Amino acid sequence: MSHDQLSEHLISFIRDRFLAGDPRGELTATSPLLEWGVLDSLNTAVLLTHIRDDLGIAIPPAKVSARFFKDVRSIAEMIDDLPQTAKADGAHHGA
Amino acid sequence: MNLHRRLIDSAARRPDAPAVVDEAGTRTYRELDDLAGAIARRLAALGVRRGDRVVLWADKSAAVVAAMQGVLRLGAAYVPVDGASPAGRVAALARDCGARAVCVGDARLGALRAELGADAEYLDLDVPLAADGPSPDETCEPDDLAFILYTSGSTGTPKGVCISHRAALAFVDWAVGLLDATSADRFANHAPFTFDLSVLDLYAPLTVGASVHLIPAALGYAPGQLVDLLYEREITVWYSVPSVLILMMRDGGLLDRAPSAALRAVLFAGEPFPIPYVRRLADWTSAPLFNLYGPTETNVCTFHRVEPADLGRDRPVPIGRPSCGDDVWAVRPDGAPAAEGDEGELMVDGPTVMLGYWGGEPQRGAYATGDVVRVLPGGAFDYVGRRDHMVKVRGHRIELGEVEAALAAHPDVDQVSVVVAGTAVNARLVAFIVPGPGRAPGVLELKEHSSRRLPRYMIADRFHLVPELPRTRNGKVDRTLLVERHVERTVSVT
Repeated sequence: MSHDQLSEHLISFIRDRFLAGDPRGELTATSPLLEWGVLDSLNTAVLLTHIRDDLGIAIPPAKVSARFFKDVRSIAEMIDDLPQTAKADGAHHGA
Repeated sequence: MNLHRRLIDSAARRPDAPAVVDEAGTRTYRELDDLAGAIARRLAALGVRRGDRVVLWADKSAAVVAAMQGVLRLGAAYVPVDGASPAGRVAALARDCGARAVCVGDARLGALRAELGADAEYLDLDVPLAADGPSPDETCEPDDLAFILYTSGSTGTPKGVCISHRAALAFVDWAVGLLDATSADRFANHAPFTFDLSVLDLYAPLTVGASVHLIPAALGYAPGQLVDLLYEREITVWYSVPSVLILMMRDGGLLDRAPSAALRAVLFAGEPFPIPYVRRLADWTSAPLFNLYGPTETNVCTFHRVEPADLGRDRPVPIGRPSCGDDVWAVRPDGAPAAEGDEGELMVDGPTVMLGYWGGEPQRGAYATGDVVRVLPGGAFDYVGRRDHMVKVRGHRIELGEVEAALAAHPDVDQVSVVVAGTAVNARLVAFIVPGPGRAPGVLELKEHSSRRLPRYMIADRFHLVPELPRTRNGKVDRTLLVERHVERTVSVT
């Protein structure tokens, strides 16, 4: 999955699950997710489960921090930078 | 009787022992002590003096723990603010408590300076400080202010609960005794530093020279990662809200693993723990389970160790008996003391009771908790419910009126009512909004608007735009009906 596809996928998931579909289309790749309470700890857990089960990517605990989850762009970049093994590992768990 | 002596004394005894473990690695007692001293000197140079307040705005880290100690060493008090709060809210809290300085991390000093300007001095926690001299170590009186924890207020403005050195230490020393804590312990810190549960996680280890393992906020409800951390760090004492333990059991695979050999105590507080999950936890581990109770204003004032007989109950375990040297009793609605079998409001007097709310009258005598309890045979207490509209969502107490007042301040909101749907780990804050005549506000816009006025845990999770709010026969908003409507609207999509 390319960076842009991943970014679009995350935006679409966050819209559906946490923003009642985001009818006005406000969410962008740089909307501050933590600051505005879109991702609270509980929603972050839901997002992590989705990334693991549906995208087959296991995000290591060290990467689950405010720095990497502040907006969609940061999450997508962090995932891009993960070693291939993390992605394969996650797919295995998700299967 | 000084809260900051705990680190100084442990650093002298065990300089090379691990003190704080965070994402960046491990800090020894000597390193933490040196950093606290350097921060204290820097704050003193900025003009912080005895009796001042210093706001701490950063995600959890060893540097923030050191900053707390640095502030106390000057005889000043620290005011922790959620690292994810927007700069505008931090500025408002800093003004409310008249902060002399703000310690800022995570490269956000510029953002705060733009909001707060010259109203405070700034210390950037990202910039390394040289350990270039002896640390200040002011001697405080037991009733001197140590820290302020902001909590939800019914009038629409947050209340700053003022905690003294005496109050914090009464709780910490009681907890150390209860746990028989030693330097070999490894405490997990799950709660945010803004939440009173963290007082135990931070100060019990500092007292005995043990280590504390900071769990980043973003990891707070990631069940698999939390379970991994429990094993990998060989945590010996776990303390969190029940919702987190439920998630670890239900979604994190905790019960599928062999019980942790390191774990020797599990403490929970902040909300009732449904008994089926307590049963599963007790079946899994032989470590003692403790239910701790107390509002921020009194910290922990009662406790109960879970016994086999409790597991046959059909309601949550008791909140138990007085702790920390406090006197605790219940008063019936008619004013008489509650006897065995009676229900009444829980009253607390003793060393852990707050000094008062910041800017308010000093607290004198017993604190009335607003919590209704039942007196059990033998004198322990069962929690029954609240006297007012305060609710709890995953341990955080929330005045619904404060959430409503913040949303009502949006120019496109005409009327608003906020309810809680679901319980325990599934509890959600749901806002029903009647838009003004001009335009309907967007969901993200309402979240952003709320984030400027409220702590993050008070930002509504779900929004419904409606043409009008349903009313009961006496004209009040029908909150029960709103909860039903929320369930109807969401059941099809989840």
